[in-house]
Amino acid sequence: MPLYELKNIAHQYNGHLALSIDHWVLESGRITGLSGPNGSGKSTLLKLLGFVERPTSGQIFLNGRKTVPFDAVVRETVALLPQATFLLKRSVYHNVEYGLRLRGLSRLTDNRVREAMSLVGLDFDHFAHRPWYALSGGEAHRVALAARLALRPKVLLLDEPTTSVDAASAQHIKSATLYAHQQWGSSVVIVSHEHQWLHEISHEILYLFQGKLLGSGHRTLLFGPWLPADDRKVYMLLIGEQRFEAPHPPPEAIHQVAAIAAIDLSILPHDNVMVPAPGRLQGTLTSMSLERITGRIHATVGMGSVVFHVVVPPEIFNRGGFTPGSAVWISYQPDDVVWY
Amino acid sequence: MDFLFQGFLQAFKLLLTGDPETYSAVAATVTVSSYAMAVSLLMGIPLGFALGHFRFPGRRAVRLVVDTMLSLPTVFVGLMVYALISRQGPLGQMGLLFTLPGIAIGQTLLALPVVIALGATTVESMDANLRTMLISLGAGRRQLLLGILWEARHGLVEAGLTAYGRVMTEVGIAMMVGGNIKWHTRTITTAIALETSKGMFAMGIALGMVLLLIAFFTTSAASLIKRK
Ligand SMILES: Nc1ncnc2c1ncn2[C@@H]1O[C@H](COP(=O)(O)OP(=O)(O)O)[C@@H](O)[C@H]1O
Ligand SMILES: [Mg+2]
Repeated sequence: MPLYELKNIAHQYNGHLALSIDHWVLESGRITGLSGPNGSGKSTLLKLLGFVERPTSGQIFLNGRKTVPFDAVVRETVALLPQATFLLKRSVYHNVEYGLRLRGLSRLTDNRVREAMSLVGLDFDHFAHRPWYALSGGEAHRVALAARLALRPKVLLLDEPTTSVDAASAQHIKSATLYAHQQWGSSVVIVSHEHQWLHEISHEILYLFQGKLLGSGHRTLLFGPWLPADDRKVYMLLIGEQRFEAPHPPPEAIHQVAAIAAIDLSILPHDNVMVPAPGRLQGTLTSMSLERITGRIHATVGMGSVVFHVVVPPEIFNRGGFTPGSAVWISYQPDDVVWY
Repeated sequence: MDFLFQGFLQAFKLLLTGDPETYSAVAATVTVSSYAMAVSLLMGIPLGFALGHFRFPGRRAVRLVVDTMLSLPTVFVGLMVYALISRQGPLGQMGLLFTLPGIAIGQTLLALPVVIALGATTVESMDANLRTMLISLGAGRRQLLLGILWEARHGLVEAGLTAYGRVMTEVGIAMMVGGNIKWHTRTITTAIALETSKGMFAMGIALGMVLLLIAFFTTSAASLIKRK
């Protein structure tokens, strides 16, 4: 049974459509990354998944049951960390224990608070009795996360948890997220602009664009502008006069966004003798990392402002020649491009 | 200027010697304002909360009416209540004219809009993120309302104190509806008005000091709630 199923969801603010999802299923026990430009409806989707708001229309099924805000099952299952840090005007301890108190779990409180605070790297003796105003931005956000972790939620929804926090805080938040998944089996949905982290930690990445889900998978999105090329093709101009070519978008592709999956891109070191050709591009290897969840090796290749996400098969990787900063080739089949 | 100093001395003398006339006025003031405040808070906080928290059609119109009522002149309220409870009035049978409950009705009309308007403003200005936070940590409907009320407590206490200030200082209603009857409906403010008209300034100042003392104790008690 899927964890979430969304049917015919539309959410409006003052008549303005912010989110529209006809059908979407989210499996349980996974980490899902959610990415997309500002204003694309990521926070709105998370608030609906957290049952903080009720969709203007449509239904949300949680564990197969139609669920609305304030249903008892929600509080036993879901915890949302909203984008904006918000603490009660109380001590750190009281903020972290608040959710437990709401659930009448006071007997667990002390252990859970200690556990949650250590998960986010806040020393109990040092921080527990600090007032809410005596914290840095990153510490305050970690306190807010600890308040959710204290509940050991089955579903943890994180809205840009590492945006606008210091590097150390971001590190603690990332490791706490992984811990929740690995130790408690929590399903996690993470909204973030940190692609590297999302690729590392997620089973699946979803893209939102203008309130619509653009399918899923580890991949690169290209927003154009698209110019006409020969034989019913279009291209986007990249750095060094290179062209990313793709078949002409079908009429139903209203957004004019092209997507190419990470596994559909091949990568080769630059010393491989190749000539630029359609479906072949030269860029700079900007990072190599292990996708901790899937065990795959993941590379990013920068071309000006565009960053391609590539899966590197072990046999290619073992040939060597992949040093970040070096020039590499990527190649793809234009027919693998998907249009939205 | 001598009467200022005399007034101070006399205030302490009146209070320490247990002057019965003074204590009668104090009792009337405390009784009437307690009634008025109890009703205003019991009705005003839920109404103010509702007005500030929920979005419903006609909300702006209600808000405008309540805000306008903040400027109600006390003598006008006095007049309206007088017309309502005087022998020929619709509530004439209840015999409320020239009684403490009569004054309390008028003072409630004075305090209620203050509690509602300031309460609504407080709840309205609560961070929208507070609601999200409470729900996201698992608050039920009742816990959500209580949580918001608790976080709004400073503003609500402030609203109550402002309303209390209006009630304690008004003369018009107590005079018109109460009739300033010695040992019965004479409050501190009507007593001050009377003493002043007789030229007994020191006595008036003494009574004013007494009023301030009461206000001081009430405010201190209220600030204990805020400090929590
Ligand atoms: N409370 C709100 N009132 C009105 N408009 C809103 C509100 N919240 C979000 N929006 C609008 O809805 C759209 C999606 O917002 P949001 O979900 O916050 O996007 P994201 O999190 O992807 O940046 C935006 O156009 C935003 O301006
Ligand atoms: Mg957002």
